[in-house]
Amino acid sequence: MIQFLQQLINGLSIGSVYALMAVGYSLVYSIMSFSNFAHGGVIMLGAYFGFFALTLLKLPFIPAFILACAGTTLLAILVERIAYKPLRERNAPFLYFIISAMGASILLENIVIATIGPTFRTYPPVIPRTPIQLGALAVGRLDLIMFFISAVCLTGLILFIEKTKMGKAIQAAAYNIKACALMGVNTDKIILIVFGLGGFLAGVAGVFFGMKYTVYPQIGNITTKSFIAAVFGGLGSLPGAVLGSVLLGTIETLVAGYLSSQFRDLIAFVILIGVLIFRPSGIMGKTTVDKA
Amino acid sequence: MDWFYIQGILMLAGINLIAVLGLSLLTGFTGLFSFGHAGFMAIGAYLGAFMTVSPTTSPAGLGLPFAVGVIAGGAGAGIVSYFIGRITLNLKGDYFCIATLGFGEAIRLILNNVQLFGGSRGWPGVPYKSTLPAIIIVDILAVIFLANLVRSRHGRNMIAVREEELAAQIAGINVFKYKMIALVVSAVYAGVAGVFFGHYMTFIQPKMFSMTKSTELTIIVIFGGLGSISGSVLGALLLTALPEILRAFEIWRLVFYGAAVILIMISRPKGLMGGMELTPAGLRKARNERKARILALKESKNGQNGEAGLG
Amino acid sequence: MKRTLMAVAVILTIVLLGCAGGGKGDTIKVGWFGALTGDQAVWGENEFNTVKMLFEEYNNAGGIEVGGKKYKLEAIGYDNKGDAQEAVNVVKRLTGQDKVVAILGPNASGNAIPIAPVLEQAKVPDIATVATNPKVTVLDGKVKPYNFRVCFIDPYQGAVAAGYAFDKLGATKAAILYDVSDDYSQGLREFFKINFEKKGGVIVADESFNAGDVDFRPQLSKIKAANPDIIFMPYFFKEVALSANQARELGITQVMMGGDGWPSEQLISMGGASVEGCYFVNHLDYADPAVQDYKARYLAKYGKETELNGFLVHDAVLVFVAALQKAGKANGEAIAKALEGIEVQGITGNIKISPETHNPEGKDAAILKIVNGQYVFQEKYAAQ
Repeated sequence: MIQFLQQLINGLSIGSVYALMAVGYSLVYSIMSFSNFAHGGVIMLGAYFGFFALTLLKLPFIPAFILACAGTTLLAILVERIAYKPLRERNAPFLYFIISAMGASILLENIVIATIGPTFRTYPPVIPRTPIQLGALAVGRLDLIMFFISAVCLTGLILFIEKTKMGKAIQAAAYNIKACALMGVNTDKIILIVFGLGGFLAGVAGVFFGMKYTVYPQIGNITTKSFIAAVFGGLGSLPGAVLGSVLLGTIETLVAGYLSSQFRDLIAFVILIGVLIFRPSGIMGKTTVDKA
Repeated sequence: MDWFYIQGILMLAGINLIAVLGLSLLTGFTGLFSFGHAGFMAIGAYLGAFMTVSPTTSPAGLGLPFAVGVIAGGAGAGIVSYFIGRITLNLKGDYFCIATLGFGEAIRLILNNVQLFGGSRGWPGVPYKSTLPAIIIVDILAVIFLANLVRSRHGRNMIAVREEELAAQIAGINVFKYKMIALVVSAVYAGVAGVFFGHYMTFIQPKMFSMTKSTELTIIVIFGGLGSISGSVLGALLLTALPEILRAFEIWRLVFYGAAVILIMISRPKGLMGGMELTPAGLRKARNERKARILALKESKNGQNGEAGLG
Repeated sequence: MKRTLMAVAVILTIVLLGCAGGGKGDTIKVGWFGALTGDQAVWGENEFNTVKMLFEEYNNAGGIEVGGKKYKLEAIGYDNKGDAQEAVNVVKRLTGQDKVVAILGPNASGNAIPIAPVLEQAKVPDIATVATNPKVTVLDGKVKPYNFRVCFIDPYQGAVAAGYAFDKLGATKAAILYDVSDDYSQGLREFFKINFEKKGGVIVADESFNAGDVDFRPQLSKIKAANPDIIFMPYFFKEVALSANQARELGITQVMMGGDGWPSEQLISMGGASVEGCYFVNHLDYADPAVQDYKARYLAKYGKETELNGFLVHDAVLVFVAALQKAGKANGEAIAKALEGIEVQGITGNIKISPETHNPEGKDAAILKIVNGQYVFQEKYAAQ
């Protein structure tokens, strides 16, 4: 029983890492209807920004954190301007966006390798590593903080989208971006804001990832998992991304803990394909109707 | 330039081309986007090796001729793709993508654990059989078969599916059937490519068939141009050689590679050869289209200026 | 179309630029390849830096005397991302276009195995650094004529680890955590398991993860419940540090043990207190007076500590130079002949390349323990 509870805690903790990353995917998907594979690269740079702000600039944690998020916000916007805007203006099919995104992701990873170098970096200790002991259970302090920050970011994001005028415009764009443009909404600005928000979240994810684990140029690879989580929950749905992430994290953990760690990812993929067969748009995804 | 080195790149390009041609049918002509074709290559490579590896080298070898390996690899990948298609072809866009990604990764994860084939440590001792002439012959056969397929009624149906799936369905085209044909053919091609790859490397390892390999293949197809066989040929040649050409840039190599991918996407909307073919007829057609465009431009300029921007 | 032509023109120019320049008469070209990008880049960069540094030192000292004439050494290194397909391309380029007389590296077995037929065609020998899979040099009972290495092999390392854990540390119940997608990790795990069970030990948990994973708590929680005496972790230091930290967070207090993927300055900086008191099998003793000079030179030149690979590529260079001088001419075939049976005092020990296996014979493993953030040499340990 203790072990089961510990595994649940492990699963939630892994899931919350996925969630922070997956929300960025889903947010961009909801507007642009393509998976922004450059998101992983932006997260990776967020981790580096935070690391250098703490070590080189010797900033305290909060300003370093804000600086990292500001950096990734700008970076995400820059990626959009360079790699996607020209495609957007041409109404290119989603394949082109995906390939362009992959190019951007290869580019970002290798710029870091060429300039900063391939070695791993360790964040200076900000939050003590010793876990909080609840009887025989160990709960990481960082996990709790991450949980809290994720919840704040997500609530803030959902409030922004639900309550503000700009949020309404984003919702409208998510529903039908062309019609939205015809109604006089500045869709270019909306896309800018959405990418900025995605970039901001990438910064949050990157810094916490770096603190919890380590910083290295291939962080982006782990985002494949969070992308799967986003699909699992239903692309384009923010609560879906969170739900998908937590479910994927928990399923993975329980499979590794009780079935077989050798086949953990295999079973996760089988479950994923299973979900897609019965719910082709993920758990909470908007059902895509062919708008022909 | 040295022939030994060039020959190696040409052989790899030729092997990639087999897989790319198949993927070109799936992505370029039918409009389905796959992240899992490295999985089909893996099936081909391992089945092919299973047939040809000498039983004295590995307990899992049958020591049969190379041709048997090629047929088995292609057929095996085709059969698996049929079952994969049955469950995933109804998924749309990114969801089909992710399902194929799941499949490709699943194949790799399984192979990591199959100790009979060496697990993740790989399987050495595959005989060296992929000679340049053999690869070229298979490439030519693959192009001829594909060119005939896309020009046939079936090929036109596939293009219709790509252009407007719903309309194609209403027009009475069995969308599922044509998606399935495209998927199975592309998997057979990938399987054959896998067999040749294994018999070129003489060593196979699950990590050779990762998602990166799948995306590389897809990048080649899009780079070459959707719906163009000659684009795929050019793309396979150029993009297989590109990382080698960029060696002069050392650690900046992949930075340039990434930049080149973005650049081609944003500057050449249809890839190198989108919708065009490098045949006498194709070139004539392209020239005529160009003339017509220029003519149309002139006419619109002669007409009312304000409307020139529309269209 | 114009743009396409432009692109083709640019590419051609680059190709031609790449071809320009050839070796002069008194220079011997030596190839190196490994990962300068990708997740193994840490080791690749370290190896290539070491090769360049040593060659520079030789050249500053006037070069190397081969067959009565002084030659300078030129290192030509290429990145292969740690990818097997690129390994084959790179070796074709090195042997075909650059006409190197020998190749140093790679570190990964999966890259050293597929290059064998290319080496045989080109008749150029390769000296691998830390490629520990037995099949790198011997396949099907036959030794590969052009593949050599300067490190011990997996069965040996696995036996050493299992023997030390069972006999010296008194462990009877072992848990294993390994990277199922990595050839090195899977190989070491297999030989540890075989040897530990042969000695009468029990493997109480055998868990794995996949490359790229950063969270190991699900597996570690399971290992904790199995209550082993020792945890064997045959993988690289980034994952070792992460998993060790997580293990301690979960309240796992057992001793952990690993292989030659462990040693690195970064293991200590990342793993810190978590790896305190842990053991690993290594190729050398870092406190050995023989290695201090190289360590200091590397630190002075590149401003950072060398990794393990540097020591082995250092010895690969020594072995190559000795073979070159013994051969008396800069010819791949002659060097390959000379490599068989050659004996060199390297910094990682005495290296005698066996003509039957092309492995260094009788190279003992060193057992190191982490004490106060330092690698403390325990003993040279030979597996029975």
